[in-house]
Amino acid sequence: MLARPKLILPLAAITAMLTALVAFAAPEQIVAASAPQATSAVPAAIAVKKSVSTADHSKFKELQKNFKTGPEVTEACLLCHTEAAKQVQHTKHWTWESKDPKTGQVRGKKNIINNYCTSPISNEKDCMACHAGYGWKDSTFDFSVEKNVDCLVCHDNTGTYRKLPGFAGHPVYERIEFPAKSGKFVEAVDLQKAAQSIGMPTRTNCGACHFFGAGANGAKHGDLDSSLQHPGKYLDVHMNEKGLNFSCTQCHATSSHEVSGSRYNTSAAMTGPAHIRGKADASPAACQSCHSDKPHSAKHALLNQHTDKLACQTCHIPEYARNDIGTELSWDWSKATTMGPDGKPFARKDSAGRRAFDSKKGEWVWESYVIPEYRWFNGTSTYKVIGDKIDPTHTVQLNVVGGGPNDPDSRIWPTKVHRGKQPYDVENKYLTVQHTAGEDDTALWHNYDWQKAIGTGMKAANLPYSGKYDFVNTELTWPITHMVAPKEDALSCVLCHSKNGRLKDIQGVYMPARDGKHWLDVIGWTLALLSLLASLIHGGIRIYSSKKEG
Amino acid sequence: MLKVIGGFFLGLIVLGVLAYSYAGSLMFREVESPFGVEETIARIQQNIQNTGNGWALSGLRNPGKAVEADGGNTLPVMMIEACSTKYSGPILKDDSVRFLSILMPCKISVYKKNDGKTYIGMMNAGLMGKMFGPMVGETMGHVAADQAKFIQFDPSKPAPAMIKGVPGAAAGGAGASAAGGC
Repeated sequence: MLARPKLILPLAAITAMLTALVAFAAPEQIVAASAPQATSAVPAAIAVKKSVSTADHSKFKELQKNFKTGPEVTEACLLCHTEAAKQVQHTKHWTWESKDPKTGQVRGKKNIINNYCTSPISNEKDCMACHAGYGWKDSTFDFSVEKNVDCLVCHDNTGTYRKLPGFAGHPVYERIEFPAKSGKFVEAVDLQKAAQSIGMPTRTNCGACHFFGAGANGAKHGDLDSSLQHPGKYLDVHMNEKGLNFSCTQCHATSSHEVSGSRYNTSAAMTGPAHIRGKADASPAACQSCHSDKPHSAKHALLNQHTDKLACQTCHIPEYARNDIGTELSWDWSKATTMGPDGKPFARKDSAGRRAFDSKKGEWVWESYVIPEYRWFNGTSTYKVIGDKIDPTHTVQLNVVGGGPNDPDSRIWPTKVHRGKQPYDVENKYLTVQHTAGEDDTALWHNYDWQKAIGTGMKAANLPYSGKYDFVNTELTWPITHMVAPKEDALSCVLCHSKNGRLKDIQGVYMPARDGKHWLDVIGWTLALLSLLASLIHGGIRIYSSKKEG
Repeated sequence: MLKVIGGFFLGLIVLGVLAYSYAGSLMFREVESPFGVEETIARIQQNIQNTGNGWALSGLRNPGKAVEADGGNTLPVMMIEACSTKYSGPILKDDSVRFLSILMPCKISVYKKNDGKTYIGMMNAGLMGKMFGPMVGETMGHVAADQAKFIQFDPSKPAPAMIKGVPGAAAGGAGASAAGGC
């Protein structure tokens, strides 16, 4: 008789294990869902493209001219839009400066050193292809001249207005071969046509610079590239061409030409209900401004409990650079000036056809569908500006993302961390400014001589140069906020709530399934096993007793 | 007697559990790649072309594109398709095993996971082949040996360009067979 309980116990245990296995392995129940029809959020009545402006600029006599230069067009614009240039001259798009209201630090492209082309100083003729102005070729540029404000770069709706490196912010006035000796030609812009085709900024206008930052499509940001020109729903639910079809300015609402939503002044932790458009709004570009800080339905109320710790972007942008274009993850300037076996400069592409090496610029690493790195962020970043001291024994953080778990204005944000290596002054211990672009004898891309390039760059930046340089590791962190995926593609719970999940390196917050106390787990499992054992013993005794009595 | 029968069934259950747990990993292999998705694909494609034995690329398929077209997202998944008539021929000529054409062309999957790393997935051709008789077993054994060469990388060599358009297999679809020869 004793043989039976002996057999029953292990069999029961195995049955329990099998049941558990089958339960875990059972295929997911197929939920019968009606296939959604391909519908457009744009009503048919307004789907037909037509002007929303009340003014047809092609009918204005002021614009019936054969304009020869960009400033001539601006002068014509200012005849009616009398305050426009003054407004623009107060914006970052014009000054390339930005003062941090919290710390007082003066940042902006003009002052910081970035991880890509490093600094526009001494390279203005090239870099100013992305300045909303004409003629900034060196430090003598007069920021008060109104006719030098470039209206067309943001408002041309022909899609033909193009500014090339090397022209100090002017468009192409005559047909030229570009790049030189490439056999490719760029046609002169038709300024009259552009001036008569004015409208609100389109994706083409914004994307001309913001999609191609750092000199290549998608290189800089990771969540901004030319795929957003005609995106599908999967790439961006708001910009989906067949859906909401948002332009950039739908979120980046402007006031007096000041564009909201700059990375220099990010609203990292907006709270409260959704805002009414038209009402004074400090951060119209933030998700919460439309969705509120409790965006999920009652059915998913638990998700709303995450909004005091997580940025919306953390779950809703599962990866960035979600296309074949990809984004640049590192730029190693120390490899620049390396020549090929024949002693001549050369270039190489990676397996996907993206720039991988160039003797002029160094080595790059690219990736598509990048998993973000997650950090606490309160909207404030402190930047390394030209002349700031560095510790070359450590990786130099070109911007330090502010915030932490105990800061109520902080949220966990997805970021792109761009790694690099760039020159610094060994004795003065600051990052150098180098003269890269140009055809003169000291330009790095012309004669491949670092000493001359740094010497000229530092002189333009008014900084002493010891004459000794080396290369230091650098990092630049970008909060990710574009390429919002459909809600069905938001991160699933387990991707964060697990030991090696996406948030494994985030400190200062307790996360079930990621964190735990070993002794508590041991006690819990012991209790569970004891309960199972007690049940089995109890059942066994009852079976044994009933048999004995019966 | 009861002990013997009980032990027999217990053994069966344990065997079933083991088979259930490990069958997947025996039939298919997954290895981590030291490179990104595109470079892994390009290097595998290059290895396939250099392996000989009649191997030719027959397609590069992106199953994620259909998901994207439907408005959804997937991490990148790319299927490299290759074929060798030297190995496919004998199987396709034999009525009893011609159904194995379902395994053709040979596929190698390159994909990214949520840990950000790139992986290579492939069928364990050697083990699968043994289940279908000596001829198929021997043929698939050769395929398995070549498959191992496909994923041997030499990092000292520069990354080749990924071959996106395989002649005759632009979409990696039905036309794929034209290039690979099977």
